[in-house]
This record gives sequence, C-alpha cells and structure tokens, in this order.
Amino acid sequence: MIGERTITQVGARALAVSREIGGITILFGQILRALLPPRLDGRELIKNLHKMGNRSVPIVALTAFFAGGLMVVQSAPFVQRFEATSLAGWAAGYAVLREIGPILIALMFSGRVGANNTAELGTMTVTEQLDGLRALAIDPIQYLIVPRVLAMMVMLVCLTVIGDLVALLGAAAVAKAVLGIEWGIMYASFTENLTPQDFLHGVYKSCAFGLSIAVTSCYFGVTVRGGAVGVGRAVNAAVVAAAVSVMLLDFFLTYLDV
Amino acid sequence: MTAVRTWLLARVTRVGAGTIAAVVAARDLWLVLVGTIAGIWRQYGRRGAPRPTDDLVEQLHVIGNRSLLFVAVTLGFIGMVMIYQACLQFSRSIGDLSQVGPQFVRLIVSDFGPTLTAMMLATRVGAGIAAEIGSMKVTEQVDALRLSGVLPVDYLLVPRFLASLVMTIVLSVIGSAIMYGAGAVTAYLSFGVNPRLFVDLGFVEPRHVILGLLKAAAYGAAIPVVAGSCGLRARGSSEGVGWATTAAVVGSSFAVIAIDFALSVGALWLLGGDL
Amino acid sequence: MVELRGVSVRFDATTVLAGVDLSVPRGARLGIIGPAAAGKSVLVKLVAGLVAPAAGRVLIDGVDVTGLSEERLAPVRARIGMLFQNYALYDFLTVEGNVGFPLVRRGEAAEVVAARVADRLRAVGLAGSEGKLPSQLSGGMKKRVGIARATIAAPELVLYDEPTAGLDPVTTSKMYDLLRADHDRSGATAIAVSSDVAALCGFVDRVVFVYQGRAHYQGPAAGLADADDPVVRQFVRGALDGPLVG
Repeated sequence: MIGERTITQVGARALAVSREIGGITILFGQILRALLPPRLDGRELIKNLHKMGNRSVPIVALTAFFAGGLMVVQSAPFVQRFEATSLAGWAAGYAVLREIGPILIALMFSGRVGANNTAELGTMTVTEQLDGLRALAIDPIQYLIVPRVLAMMVMLVCLTVIGDLVALLGAAAVAKAVLGIEWGIMYASFTENLTPQDFLHGVYKSCAFGLSIAVTSCYFGVTVRGGAVGVGRAVNAAVVAAAVSVMLLDFFLTYLDV
Repeated sequence: MTAVRTWLLARVTRVGAGTIAAVVAARDLWLVLVGTIAGIWRQYGRRGAPRPTDDLVEQLHVIGNRSLLFVAVTLGFIGMVMIYQACLQFSRSIGDLSQVGPQFVRLIVSDFGPTLTAMMLATRVGAGIAAEIGSMKVTEQVDALRLSGVLPVDYLLVPRFLASLVMTIVLSVIGSAIMYGAGAVTAYLSFGVNPRLFVDLGFVEPRHVILGLLKAAAYGAAIPVVAGSCGLRARGSSEGVGWATTAAVVGSSFAVIAIDFALSVGALWLLGGDL
Repeated sequence: MVELRGVSVRFDATTVLAGVDLSVPRGARLGIIGPAAAGKSVLVKLVAGLVAPAAGRVLIDGVDVTGLSEERLAPVRARIGMLFQNYALYDFLTVEGNVGFPLVRRGEAAEVVAARVADRLRAVGLAGSEGKLPSQLSGGMKKRVGIARATIAAPELVLYDEPTAGLDPVTTSKMYDLLRADHDRSGATAIAVSSDVAALCGFVDRVVFVYQGRAHYQGPAAGLADADDPVVRQFVRGALDGPLVG
C-alpha cells in the first residue's frame, strides 16, 4: 500500500524539481536578455576563460587518455579473437568521438569547473557580495554570470576538441602497449573509418553540454542559503542537475543530428 | 636571459608545489583508507564493540535509495543513446543488427553498467559525503567529536564506506538492467530489431559478471574514501566546503576511470581473447 | 591543572603561536584576550589536544600530553569540556542528542543521560527545547546548548571559545552570570577566549593578552588597564593610534 506520506513526499519532490527547472529557465532568459545588446565585461571574460579552460586541461587530458585507452581495451577481445586489427581504431574512435569523449569530458568539466563556479557564486551569495554589487547599481547577471556562461561554453568545446585528440592518442598508445598494434595501423584505421561528421557530432553536443552546465551551476550558486552547509548542498545539487541535463541533452541531440 | 630564468623558476616552483600537494593528498587518502578499514575492524570485528546500526541503515538509505531515481534516469538515457549509435554504425557498415544486443549486454555487464553507475554516484554520493563532512569540519563538529573521544573516521566514514560498498553493487546491477532494457526499446522502435533477438545473454559468461561486480565493489570503496578525505581536509568557511565538494567530485570521478582502466587491462592481460 | 611550555604552532608557512608559556592552577579562571586572528582559539584547541604544537610541551595535571595518539588522549579529554566558537552542534542530532552525546559515548544508561540532560538544559534556561534541531535555534540559544554539552560530563576543565561573540550586551551579561554560577558550584577550572574585555573581566580572575602569536600580558584582570605594554594599553582603551596593526 502506498501511504499518504509517500504521496506527499513524491508531490513535494516533484514541486521542488519543477521550481528548480523554472528557476533555471528564468535565469537562462535573464542571461539572454543581458546579451541584448551585447555589453561584455572583457576583463572578467578573459579571467574566466583562463581559469575555466587552461587550468582544466590536465584533468581533461588525463581523463580523455584513459577513456580512449578503455575503449580499445573493451574492443580488444574481438580484435584478438578475429585478428581484426584494422577494426580496433574504428570501434574505439567511433565511441570516443561521438559519445564517451564528450560525455566524460563534460562530466569532468561539471565537477571541476561547474562545481567550483557554484561554490564561488554561493560563497559570494552567503557573504552578501551580490547584494553589494546591486547596491552599486551593477547587474550581477551581466557582470558575474554572463562572462561565466560564455567562458564555460567556449571552453568546454575547446576542451572537447583537445580531449578527442588526446583520447585517440590514448587509444593508439594502449593498442600498442596491450595489443601490440603499430601506430601506423591505428592511424590508418582512424582515417579510413572515421568521418568529420563523427567528430563534429561530439563537438556540437559539447556546446549544448557547456551551456547547460554553466546555467545550472550559476543557478545553484546564486540561490544558496544557509552558510557553509548551504554551499556544500548547492554544489551537490548543481553537479547532480548538470549530470542529468547532460544525459538528457545527449539523448535528444543524438536523435536530432544523424 | 633573466626573464627566461624567472619564467623557468616560476614553472619549476609551480610543478614542485603541485607535486607536494599531490603527495600530501595521496598520504591523506592512504591514511583515510587504512583508518576506515581499521574502523570497520574496531566496530564490527570485535565482539561486544559498539555498533552504530542506525547510522548504517540511514546511510544505506541516503546513498542507495535516494540515488535510485538519478541512476535510473541517467543510465536509461545513456543506454538508449549508446544503442542508437551502435545500431546506426552497424547498419551502415555491416547491415546485420542481430549481433548488437548480445554483444552490447556483454559490454554492459563487464564494464559500462558498473562504470557509468559509479560515475553518476561519484557525482551524487561523492559530492554529498564531501559536503556533509566538509561542513562538519569547518563548523568544528569534527573537533567536538574528537573531544568526546570519538574518532571521526570511525563515526563518519565507516557507515558511509559500508553503505557505499553495498549500494554501488546493488545500483550497478539495477543500472545495468535499466540500460539494457532502454537499449532494447530503442533498437526496437528506431531500427525494428526484434526484442527476442536483442535480449540474448548467450555471450555473457560468469567471468564477465565477476569482473563487473569486482569493478562495482572497487568503485564503491573508492568513492567514500576519496570524498571523505576531501571533506576532512576542508578548511576555512564556505569556500572550504565548496573546495572540498569540488575536489571530491573530480577526485572520485577520476578514481572511477582509473580503477576501470586498471581492472580492465588486468582482466585482458589475464584472460586475453577469452574475455 | 594546565601548563604550556614554550609552545609554537605553525599552519603551513604562517606562525600562529610563537613560544607561549602559560600556567593555570586548578580552580582558576583564565581569560585569553587579544585582537582577531591573534591565535586565541588555537591556544585553547592546543589545551584540548585538537591542535598539535610544532614545538614546546602541553601538560595537563603534570602529565605531558604532547603528541599523544587520539586513543591515548581520550582519557585526558574525558575531563575536559569545550564550547566551540561556531557552537559545533551536530546538525543531525536534536538538542537532547547533542547535550547527551558525551555521556552516551561513555556508555551511560539512557535514563541517567536523560536526567542529566534535563538538569543541564534547565541550568542554561532551555528546558523544554530537547526535541529541537540546532537549525531551529538562535545564536544565543546555540551557545547555551553548547555550554550545556560542554559541562554535562562534570569536567574538571572547561574551555570557552568566544562564549559571547555576536550576542547583545544583555545576553552577554546573562551568559557570564550563568558561567559564574556554574563554576562557583562545580569549582571547575575555566579558560575563556574573548575579544570583549570588559565583560570577560567580570568572570575571570586572570587574563593573558595574545597578539601576533605572543603573550604580551599575563596577570590579574584588574591590572590590564595599567599594563606597561603599549599594545595591551591601546587594545584595552580602543585607541586609534598605537603599535597595533590589522
């Protein structure tokens, strides 16, 4: 039997989720409006591009390298059984460029940059710095949020491009180390079987992932309440929301672009 | 000349500082792992020792039940996408889609199911543990525990560790099933693959199941240890908690990928083409 | 009861305490005062063994407790109660659970704990709040719950880290009245940290002035205003010009 309490809980949860989706949508609208006409704080943008992009290269590269290697390891049993060395690059490259690469890099980016962004904005919110900006007649959305959202979108695309290359390198390196496939054979396998569409498919998805990670992380940052405990909770909620939105977007975008 | 030297010196200093930070983090991680295992022994190994059963049940609920919907939604969608991409590629190159399901389930069982579930849990559970323990650290609750003669690792980490170990395995099984089911639906609706052909466990051997469960257990152990040590290293105020939570998400996600890589390569090395 | 011999504390590259000597006899009430970030909180945490010194010794009842493991420190800490600066109330426990926590961990029977908790909550004026969660309390109430928890196990030494920070003057006086009555009855040793000198001096009999990791004045509370040290004089009088920086 489903009790009254369970139904109440489900209802409360559904309301909370709706409120969050609504809040994120409103914030997205405010960001779009702040871009019309485009007035940008260039210094803030460059600072964020550097902080969010350059500093994430090591962790993204490391993740991508392992991800590429993993795809080779997963396809290794077939390759060994059927001695189909020319297919090793196809399977790994296809999976990496279209799905595994963009998704894993987006998840890492959400953890490294999105979570950090929520924590930063959250700390500014609990220490009343946002109210301080408003008191100076500075729009926090235009000054703080728009540069961050743009920087995250641009940088996730750049990182995905770098990550794709590193992942293919990782695939080739693992193929050489574990399966003994020469670099040249892997290179030929990549170039013969992969098309620019495979690469662009991943990059175009990463653009949307970047936007959704940026908007959710900003939303949870500026709505923090309740000091240090609240900041921790907000970061937690932000990474969970970002993961769900990445997976949902991935689904719809895959269907839209064939 | 001087400019080059200054630049080089700055670079070397940064690399050195990074190395030291990494060594400190690794040592903390090791201490937390050893402390947790010793804590399990202190609480469960000896007869008559105090057993915080309530805490364990609560953590099982928080880590397991509350993550179920999240894991189900994310793994369902990624299962659909993966099968869609796989069918697309197979129909272009080979044209025979009857092998997609049986091969896909082998990959789900031995890798994708547990690993993607753990990636999701690294996000949700890792961040949750670090946020909670980090907040307790900066508000001096951890110090208050120590003053009452309680080891923070015993009290805070042991229940989370055990709960995460159990629940990562359980959720991996559920997540794998959902992924496969969603894949079957997609293959049927988008490519007309008969579900009877798709749902064929013929290629799944016991070693694939064992490898998958082993991976799930390793992820389940790694996530709370990484997240807990990040939480216990939090300092300052809300920035400290934010830092700890961020570090926990990145650290535990990366731990999942690294463990996956190590175990997959190890299994391939042991079993070769039979895997 | 408590003796510090030349203790220094360092966090990473910053020196928080640099060679502090301190001695608190049994039953005495010592106040630790000084400007913000002078190392006052670290000083009391040092006594409770929550911070390890980089140099020097910490003695409790003549026993050297420096560098003891957490297990070996437990019997020493069992005789110490502490009110933390941020209250440090466990946010997952009710007021009753928080106050009773030290006794529960010692394996006391539930009825004994409940009776002691009720008694302590009455003493701090919070009878009837047993079932509330810390998030439902005001700052002053949290402080009083913290005091109830610090004193529930009848400790021989109680450490108060900023017992009145953020409280209004009336509540501050009430708080010190409470502490005074409590210590008059129990005879326990007290060390209290505060930057509110005037109010603190009504409770303690001796003070230590800490500034930039060093003790600048040690002596009776009454002699503070006439101290020779220019830093102490400036701080007590709230003068704008003087050697005090930051």
